[in-house]
Amino acid sequence: MKYAVLLWEYIKNYAKTRLTYRADFWIEVLSDLMFQGMNLFFILIVFQHTPSLGGWTEAEVVFVYGFFMIPYGLFTTFFNMWNFSERYIVKGEMDRILTRPAHNLFQVLLENVDPPSLIGSAVGAIIMAICWNDLGLAFHAYDLLMLLLFVIGAVLVYGGIYTALSALSFFSDAPTGIVPLIYNIQNYGRYPVNIYNKTIRFILTWVLPFAFVGVIPASYFLEKKSDDISQLALLTPVVGIVFFILGLSLWNYGVKRYRGAGS
Amino acid sequence: MLAIDVKDLRKQFKVQKNREGLSGALKDLFKREYNEVRAVKDISFQIPQGEICGYIGENGAGKSTTIKMLTGILVPTSGDIRVNGYIPYKDREKFVGNIGVVFGQRSQLWWDIGVIESFRLLRKVYGVSEHDFRRRLDQLVERLDLGDLLNRPVRKLSLGQRMRCELVASLLHNPAILFLDEPTIGLDIVVKTAIREFLQELNREEGTTILLTTHDLQDIEALCSRVIMLDDGRIIYDGGLDELKNRWSRGREIQFQFTSHTPLAKLEQLTAGLGVTWKQESDLNATMWLPHTTNVSDALSIVTGGTAIRDIKIIETNTDEIVREIYRSGSASASAAATLLREEEPALR
Repeated sequence: MKYAVLLWEYIKNYAKTRLTYRADFWIEVLSDLMFQGMNLFFILIVFQHTPSLGGWTEAEVVFVYGFFMIPYGLFTTFFNMWNFSERYIVKGEMDRILTRPAHNLFQVLLENVDPPSLIGSAVGAIIMAICWNDLGLAFHAYDLLMLLLFVIGAVLVYGGIYTALSALSFFSDAPTGIVPLIYNIQNYGRYPVNIYNKTIRFILTWVLPFAFVGVIPASYFLEKKSDDISQLALLTPVVGIVFFILGLSLWNYGVKRYRGAGS
Repeated sequence: MLAIDVKDLRKQFKVQKNREGLSGALKDLFKREYNEVRAVKDISFQIPQGEICGYIGENGAGKSTTIKMLTGILVPTSGDIRVNGYIPYKDREKFVGNIGVVFGQRSQLWWDIGVIESFRLLRKVYGVSEHDFRRRLDQLVERLDLGDLLNRPVRKLSLGQRMRCELVASLLHNPAILFLDEPTIGLDIVVKTAIREFLQELNREEGTTILLTTHDLQDIEALCSRVIMLDDGRIIYDGGLDELKNRWSRGREIQFQFTSHTPLAKLEQLTAGLGVTWKQESDLNATMWLPHTTNVSDALSIVTGGTAIRDIKIIETNTDEIVREIYRSGSASASAAATLLREEEPALR
């Protein structure tokens, strides 16, 4: 309850600071959407050359992409930790966080909350809805419930992995190379995993389970494929919780190793 | 009751050794060597509730590291800490609700929003009721004279204004202990004085325990009944400020101006046996160093009896000099302090 109040307070403060720089706000929204648009465009180009990708039609792949955008938008809103190492470890702002009575990860997340990214989620939902219609899929009320469950699970998968990555900053002064690397890998999760070789598929499913952010839960709503990864869909919330707990544990362990900066 | 109880506290950092040159850097890439650096070396001290204690020492002596362990930011390597009855790093979230922290070098406030917005956010973080918050804020704003600053964003405040706001921010939840790490650094004398007076009042009226680190000894003289001095991670002095002065100031200095040329030899001959030393500055000026064992009046009567004097100035060594002297001699005075303390102990019992 306390945390819900705090979340609201921080978002209000975000609004107060950021809305004073209106141009900045819109540029961020626009560049976000353009980035997503480029990815979508890429999918469309691929399907100019082939009618199906590993047994997935264009509309299905776009559907998966639309689903992916929903948790991704939520994730970038609430886990905006790209500058964590620089700001909190190198400059030592973690000191301030640690002297306040709220969980430290939560405080860091709140201070960097970035609501404009939610627009991406909204666009994703629209894309999904359009594809849903185009594919002539049946719609049940409980589909919404499942969607909510999958989205939460997917956000937790992302959140867990990036919390763990940020926690590496507690151990090493400059773990700068690893975040872009993972960021690149995560993009693979948006496409049908059966187009990759076995190793990559295994990694994307169980090691860095980015497939649980895109294709696996999305396939639940689609027609069954030969390898039927949709069976795994129901595991999404479980994988999310497991990875988030792992990330949080590494974080909590890392905080004990925090050394502060300068005087 | 004790506000702070520290026993055999130690903090060790692992520091990577960087070898020289390109070949060294290449070696570091494959095989790293680490040095264990001990920033705080088994210190023990106790601070009762309601005390203002100064924590001084050179840069790198381990002051900030200690403060960070006391506030729960750093986890100690070994030793026991109890602050307000809590082990800071263990029950951090519960513990920090009853302490206030100000780091002079770092802002606690949000940069872009108005000061009052920061305060409101802190009210929610600390869970202070609206009624208490209003009363407390009004009180603090009045005492620190912040009235018209509250709506300005922090980035537009001067250092002095910001510092006063930082103090308010750290006190909104009415903490029992206030930790100040160099609270007056970079401030002008007016703001410094205002902050000192404020802290004194706070301590007197609300009984807030205050632990502050500083390089400005006037802070200590104005505020602290007690000083803990740190050197190279060890406590080299723990006690009253007056005692510190007596213990380490070696004597007084008396400057003489004579009416006619007075040779050094004559002066030395006059005061032979008193244990004083002379230094001739010019034909008419000389300075006498007087140890504490000798009475000023004795020395003065001898000198005035034998020479014609135009002016006399007695200079008591100030704290700055004493402390500079201690810092410079470093470990030597540590052992001196140790012997002094050992000698004192039986007397105390």
